Amino acid sequence: MDFNNLVTQLNAGTILPEGIVLITLLGILVGDLIFGRSIARNLSYFAVGGLVCSLVALILQWDNPQPVSFIGAYSSDPLSVVFRAIVVLSAAVTILMSISYVEQTGTALAEFVAILLTATLGGMFLSGSTELVMIFVSLETLSISSYLMTGYMKRDPRSNEAALKYLLIGASSSAVFLYGISLLYGLSGGETTLEAIARGIAGASGSLSLGLVVSLVFTIAGIAFKISAVPFHQWTPDVYEGSPTPVVAFLSVGSKAAGFALAIRLLVTAFPQVIEQWHFVFTALAILSMVLGNVVALAQTSMKRMLGYSSIAQAGFVMIGMVIGTETGYASMVFYLFVYLFMNLGAFACVILFTLRTGTDRISDYSGLYQKDPFLTLSLSICLLSLGGIPPLAGFFGKIYIFWAGWKAGAYGLVLLALVTSVVSIYYYLRVVKMMVVKEPNEMSDVVKNYPATNWNLPGMRSLQVATLAGLIATSLAGILSNPLFTIANDSVSNTPMLQASVQRQVAVK
Amino acid sequence: MISEFPWLTAIIAFPIVAALAIPAIPDTNGKTVRLYALGIGILELGLIIYTFATQYDFNNPNLQLVERYSWIPQLGLNWSLGTDGLSMPLVVLTGFVTTLAIFAAWNITIKPRLFYGLMLLMYGAQISVFLAQDLLMFFMLWELELVPVYLLISIWGGGQRFYAATKFILYTALASIFILLSALGLAFYGDTVTFDIAELGLKEYPIGLELLAYAGFLIAFGVKLPIFPFHTWLPDAHGEAPAPGSMILAGVLLKMGGYALIRFNAEMLPHAHVYFAPVLAILGVVNIIYGALAAFSQDNLKRRLAYSSISHMGFVLIGISSFTALGINGAMLQMISHGGIAAVLFFLAGVIYERTHTLSMDKMGGMAKSMPSTFALFTFASMASLALPGMSGFVSELSIFLGLTTSDVYDSGFKTLVIFLSAVGLLITPIYLLSMLRRVFFGKLESNGEICWDAKPRELAIAFSLLIPIIGIGLYPKLATQTYDITTAAVAAHLREALPTAVAERKDTSLYAQSIEWKSQTANASPVISSKLVGIANR
Repeated sequence: MDFNNLVTQLNAGTILPEGIVLITLLGILVGDLIFGRSIARNLSYFAVGGLVCSLVALILQWDNPQPVSFIGAYSSDPLSVVFRAIVVLSAAVTILMSISYVEQTGTALAEFVAILLTATLGGMFLSGSTELVMIFVSLETLSISSYLMTGYMKRDPRSNEAALKYLLIGASSSAVFLYGISLLYGLSGGETTLEAIARGIAGASGSLSLGLVVSLVFTIAGIAFKISAVPFHQWTPDVYEGSPTPVVAFLSVGSKAAGFALAIRLLVTAFPQVIEQWHFVFTALAILSMVLGNVVALAQTSMKRMLGYSSIAQAGFVMIGMVIGTETGYASMVFYLFVYLFMNLGAFACVILFTLRTGTDRISDYSGLYQKDPFLTLSLSICLLSLGGIPPLAGFFGKIYIFWAGWKAGAYGLVLLALVTSVVSIYYYLRVVKMMVVKEPNEMSDVVKNYPATNWNLPGMRSLQVATLAGLIATSLAGILSNPLFTIANDSVSNTPMLQASVQRQVAVK
Repeated sequence: MISEFPWLTAIIAFPIVAALAIPAIPDTNGKTVRLYALGIGILELGLIIYTFATQYDFNNPNLQLVERYSWIPQLGLNWSLGTDGLSMPLVVLTGFVTTLAIFAAWNITIKPRLFYGLMLLMYGAQISVFLAQDLLMFFMLWELELVPVYLLISIWGGGQRFYAATKFILYTALASIFILLSALGLAFYGDTVTFDIAELGLKEYPIGLELLAYAGFLIAFGVKLPIFPFHTWLPDAHGEAPAPGSMILAGVLLKMGGYALIRFNAEMLPHAHVYFAPVLAILGVVNIIYGALAAFSQDNLKRRLAYSSISHMGFVLIGISSFTALGINGAMLQMISHGGIAAVLFFLAGVIYERTHTLSMDKMGGMAKSMPSTFALFTFASMASLALPGMSGFVSELSIFLGLTTSDVYDSGFKTLVIFLSAVGLLITPIYLLSMLRRVFFGKLESNGEICWDAKPRELAIAFSLLIPIIGIGLYPKLATQTYDITTAAVAAHLREALPTAVAERKDTSLYAQSIEWKSQTANASPVISSKLVGIANR
């Protein structure tokens, strides 16, 4: 293998976006070492700038004629570009909203941003990796930095508890996942790239082996932990409640999106023989997530816990798109994740804003907020109603697309269940809106009575305002003007060879 | 036929855009905002009337002012609007009632910006429901007013407002699932995926699918109309909503159910309608009698009016099930006339509530002396509601009865039963309405230290502007019917095509029915005749 051939095979240009994030990360570490806390805030703006550059690099990679790189270990096909873009966007918005939050708690900001960028890097690599070792390393990069971020508020016992819980459950699920993929390695006769594994397994045994099913189940267990699908969700509410709110925002959007990217790539590429089995398992996970997430969310009194259960339920909706396995199904997944990014981050930005002013996140403490802060009330209401799927907000279109695709593929029962549970979800989202808007001045909660006047000129508040506004505008308009997003979602699926092959296979079977 | 200026889009967009500007209006006590909202309302009504007066052809039974823009081609969703005789009168009614509701809300002092913003939002949303020609878009617009109505009830409503508002939103949201399911079922049938209402109507479905879709639509629209077992949200919502909210709920929102039943169930799925029409007739009778009896037992003034709405909507069902031009014409007229009557009754109930601060009829009484003009107006409205000749309710209920009697689809035993039972309902109506008048206005004055001053000019103006059209239509029904009866006749003809041939061949021969059809057919037929004459002359 001569040098030129090796360069072509490596095709290292595909990881330019990750490279930019990595350089930003190093720059922040060095800058923090040299200048200390005095420029921490500027460093975080620098991080946002780096993420935006990375996003631009990603956009330039759209329609890359040579997506495969690193000798088959990494792929930069449109699907991976889309998922990496979701991860980068969620990280950028998370940094914007974390500046004042982290500063107020008195911990170091630059280190927090550095850890968050590491997690972003892990999520980005996870979205595109097509080789087992690569998958595991990037999964661990994402997970370990998530554990660190969860426990970032060292003086808060609840943050510590959340971090410990997350670490223990996360580590064991990683172990299970590792066991699953090592079985895969063995069954395929020592292959590590996903396509070679599929070929190897098909060649090794004509019939279905028990080992393959065991490997499938263990792999799914690991993935389901990342996307917090019921019954692998137990960590979610506790971790969401205890960890710093910006971290929760990232976990619920960026980390989840990376998990879905892994799920699609791994399951579709490596397990074509057991496609019915994994569809069945994911159907069960989707049903459980939708029912349990939506029903348990009804009873929550803490805003973050409620959003935690709501994110479980939302993952259930997304899984419908995956289960039906058609082209529109995958496209509806991508579209919904985009929409979910806007509305969930918008909601978390509002929750952070409220917590910063009042120091509480009990739902009953929101009562009467309309009188004191109409802007925050409007933003939070719009984001929550969008999560509940009220037209004409973005979430409505996301749900409609999933139901549309599901009905087209004949998944009538799933669509019906999703519709019913989404009506249930309207109830708990609306409850918060009711608290804020409907309550009269004399029913105002004590914290709202002492609500400080809004001062956007305080350090760090401006960026939080930008994040909230971005969430608000995107959530209100991404539905009505969703045509470009639909095109992106559809193109990302139709231009990805691996998904096309899978869709073709399914059509051929039918 | 695409008109160059998007009139219908303008009608929908104008109040919504105006609502979005409300936060920017400088105002401290809500007075500027209410003037602004009223101004927008009147302008919008003017725009509607101008559009229909200049752009709409009353002699054309088909869709007019059609606009169609591709919105999300991946879903097959189009921004598709159009209007015909079924929707045009209801759009005007919406504009009329909503504008008056804004005017009726003059004394709202809590959160005025939010209130008028929501009112204007609903203004546009309601109209858009009547104009949508794409089923998916219709579903979206149908859901659009959930949250505004929820907030309207739960912020400005009465004592049980949270319960009523939550019940309303859960009922409506659950029911509207069925719209989406039926829509998806119909859209994906066959080779092409389309949500266009006209194209869906042209598809040939297997009867099983058609029946299922019909049942789905019936549940969804039955909750809104409401039809008997799905009605329980209505007395709560109408009873607890503030007076302007009740005006809109009873005056406009119920009509969405009736409109959608004609538009989707009957027009789009005529084969299933053949099976379901007797069910509709029976449900209509149940509505009439149950609503009337339940109204009689209510002590709360607004709940009594709410049950009377249920009773009156039963006539719409019977009209839809009649398979005659006259019956469907009557159903339309009943919706328009009830829109006005219910709005004025709820408005006057609100006027009384502002004085007495109670809706319990036990605590009222003897108010005729202190509020003579309110008393007179209330009496007028009640007479209209019990279908006194000379009022619009009389004409509409009479033509529904005639429509059913002249219908050759049902055998005479069924028709006799339906008519007899609805006539019983008609007899109960005056009983509960007159007893309401007696308990509120006659008897000993139940003074709890408050002075009941009579209606003010503003209130008189609102009541008169609703009552005058009611009497006008009652005296000269053609005023209303000629604007839409070409379309209703076309709908009836379309429905009859679906009937088994044996029945369909028996033409509508009843002389009486033809004579009372207000010459619509002659108006329709005369160009044909004259063109024939011209043809003969040319020879």
